[in-house]
Amino acid sequence: MDHPQFFFMAILWMVIWGAVGAVMIRRAYFARDLDVTQARAVGVAVGAATGPFGLIPLYLKTPELTRRWRVLPWLGVAAVFTAAFALSDPDNVCVTSGSFVASQVTNGLIIGTIYGLMALGLALIFSIIGIVSFSHGEFYMIGGMVVYYMTEVWLPGAGPVLAVIFACVVTFMIGALFERAFLTPIYDGRVERPNEYAILVTFGLAFFLQYLVQGLSGANPVKARPFFELPKTNIPEDGSILATTRSNITLFDTISVSTPRLTAAVISVLMLGLLIWFLYKTWWGKGLRAVAQDRQAAAVAGINPKVMNMVAFGLGCMLAGLAGAVLVQAFSWLPQTGMIPALRAFVIIVLGGLGSLPGAFIGGLLLGLIEATGVGCMPDPTRAAAYLPAYGMIVLTLVLLLKPTGLFGKKI
Amino acid sequence: MKTSFILGASALALLSAPAFAADCPIKLGGLAPLSAPGSVTGGEAMRDAMKIAVDDINAAGGLLGCPVELVVVDTEGLPERGAAVMERLITQDGVVAVGGGYHSSVGIAAKDVADGKGIPVVFAETWNDQITADRQKYIFRIAPLSSEVSKIYAQFAATIPEVKKVVILAENTDYGLPASEETKAGLEAAGIASSTFTVDIGTQDFSGIIERIRAESPDMIIQLLTGEATYNFTQQAAEAGMGPGDLPMTCDQAALESGAFWQNVPDGNLCFINAVGLPRALYNDKTNAFVAAYTSATGKSAAESYAMEAYDSIGILAAAITAAGSTEGDAIVTALENITYSGTLGEITFPVNSSNPPEAAGKTPNFWHQFPDPAVTMVQYQEPNQLAADAVVVFPERYKTGEAIISGQ
Repeated sequence: MDHPQFFFMAILWMVIWGAVGAVMIRRAYFARDLDVTQARAVGVAVGAATGPFGLIPLYLKTPELTRRWRVLPWLGVAAVFTAAFALSDPDNVCVTSGSFVASQVTNGLIIGTIYGLMALGLALIFSIIGIVSFSHGEFYMIGGMVVYYMTEVWLPGAGPVLAVIFACVVTFMIGALFERAFLTPIYDGRVERPNEYAILVTFGLAFFLQYLVQGLSGANPVKARPFFELPKTNIPEDGSILATTRSNITLFDTISVSTPRLTAAVISVLMLGLLIWFLYKTWWGKGLRAVAQDRQAAAVAGINPKVMNMVAFGLGCMLAGLAGAVLVQAFSWLPQTGMIPALRAFVIIVLGGLGSLPGAFIGGLLLGLIEATGVGCMPDPTRAAAYLPAYGMIVLTLVLLLKPTGLFGKKI
Repeated sequence: MKTSFILGASALALLSAPAFAADCPIKLGGLAPLSAPGSVTGGEAMRDAMKIAVDDINAAGGLLGCPVELVVVDTEGLPERGAAVMERLITQDGVVAVGGGYHSSVGIAAKDVADGKGIPVVFAETWNDQITADRQKYIFRIAPLSSEVSKIYAQFAATIPEVKKVVILAENTDYGLPASEETKAGLEAAGIASSTFTVDIGTQDFSGIIERIRAESPDMIIQLLTGEATYNFTQQAAEAGMGPGDLPMTCDQAALESGAFWQNVPDGNLCFINAVGLPRALYNDKTNAFVAAYTSATGKSAAESYAMEAYDSIGILAAAITAAGSTEGDAIVTALENITYSGTLGEITFPVNSSNPPEAAGKTPNFWHQFPDPAVTMVQYQEPNQLAADAVVVFPERYKTGEAIISGQ
């Protein structure tokens, strides 16, 4: 950084006025007997973004804190942060190159989509059964392994679509069978400490699956071929709008995305659409949502919560398996591949709000963007990628400080 | 009185005898990363090579009249795990010496445990200078020094025309961090600018860092990554138009496991790979015999550098035990300090030792108990799906078997 003083002054400004806003605005709303649930977070954001210029009118007028109030001040905080960063490090590639930023944002959104899909499975399980599955990463790994074996070993001519569907079936079946065999004691009081039991039994499943796959497949890395390869194209002739190679697409000479990652993201978005349709348009989906909202009321309405538990666990595992199935063409795959994505999924569901399905997906996108921005803009290139896991944790910590239930979590 | 003295002395001798005579079977330990985030490709190759070494020793009649048993442990490439398995090898399994070892960070953590317990270790593939620079009595190494390999990288980069700026991508470990500093210094001395990027050892997704490297507009990329990370980076860089087919790039020696490399990096042609050990044209009888046994046992086309090093680490320990006539740690160390062992890597000696310390030898402490000149070469795949055995040696001049193909020029 050429002028770090600008950056640290801005951080100091945001911390001091954010803290003042948190205390003063909540106090003002409380004193006037108004809804205080959003007052602290809005106070922090208005204070950090505008200092006394925004806080004083807000303190005096105490308007209703609509969604606009909950979102716009945070964009202001982001703008202040960005401006301070640009002033303090004017030669940073994130400041000088728009095409670099566009590429990083695109890559962040693409990987975020897949993170979101995986986290969605974890959130689905938590919202219906109320447990956190520590074997989620292993289902991600199995999804990839199944696609690799289907396309490269068992049926080398089989198309990727068939392989992905088969991976979904396999992960759903393993999840559903496991739920029937090991999780039912949680529901009928057969175990004294159901939460601890769930942690232990899903941990056990994780180790079992990891070492089972290592025993069956070996510990060497494998990789599936890209699902689709593109012909070489240039539009117009100099490729200034669109240029494709076998494994890459470049848009406007600016955004460069590899085809395996793009394919993975497109399939994830399609599957997300299918999942939304399933949850909102089918009887089974409505049943799942009903159980998530009120288990007893759903049972009274003729929905069997135990069956829904099995479907939810299987579906959650399937979503993790699907994320792995589409990524095995982009990354080398090992029996231990699921460990890091599983950790990310935990961060995402806490960031988005435990049990919130939209929160899980948006949290995934957010984490993808944060990581891409961190790697791209960190002034010290030596450390930029080495801090990858830290970027998400910093944002998670800040969100939990301001909103302990996560971005979209319900107040308990 | 005399009788009781003789009886007492005899009893004492009987009691103390097992400490110096061999308990059968003689157990040797082997360190290898057999699970991620360690380099599994390298670990499995080392395990297979060490097994062949023990089979060869047993086929030749064992050691001190005893059969030899190999106990291989999985270090997972993690330092804490390395220290724990070294402790287990010594205290539970009762090994008398240890060979193998891949990741430097594991070696650094494990060596203190072994040295503290008086168990000799010959590290096979841990490059960090500190392994030997600490001048520990029981620690030996036949892998090259990281600083020496870094010089090779810099010298090689300087031979490529029009290379003015190099990006070094290093793993955030005891191997990658010092190696990146040493390579940077070597490049600077050759008048080449460089930028360093570091990543965690288990990194899978390199997309963000690839864009950042692209923004640096490098003329060459030097990877100081081990194992699977090199596969992921090379293929993702190639998909982004920054691969070995687009600009000169070095890959980790895990690329020498050609089956796994081509499956994971189908666009990895023209990658330069640093190889330790004699080039094929200079193979001795032992190298030829080992390569024949190894390729037959594993189905691979050639033996990787780390496989040869692992084989020799066990072979040299066996030779030292035979020379010492004992499995006692101090006796093995004395034998190792005086050994001239003909292995797959050539003639191995440890000339800088307790009777010829670094100061007297005019060497840095890094050369303590260090095999001083393992052959280090740069080889290149020049056709897609080429076998490792057919890769062309392109540097240094004295080992060269063909010209380098410089991509992008």
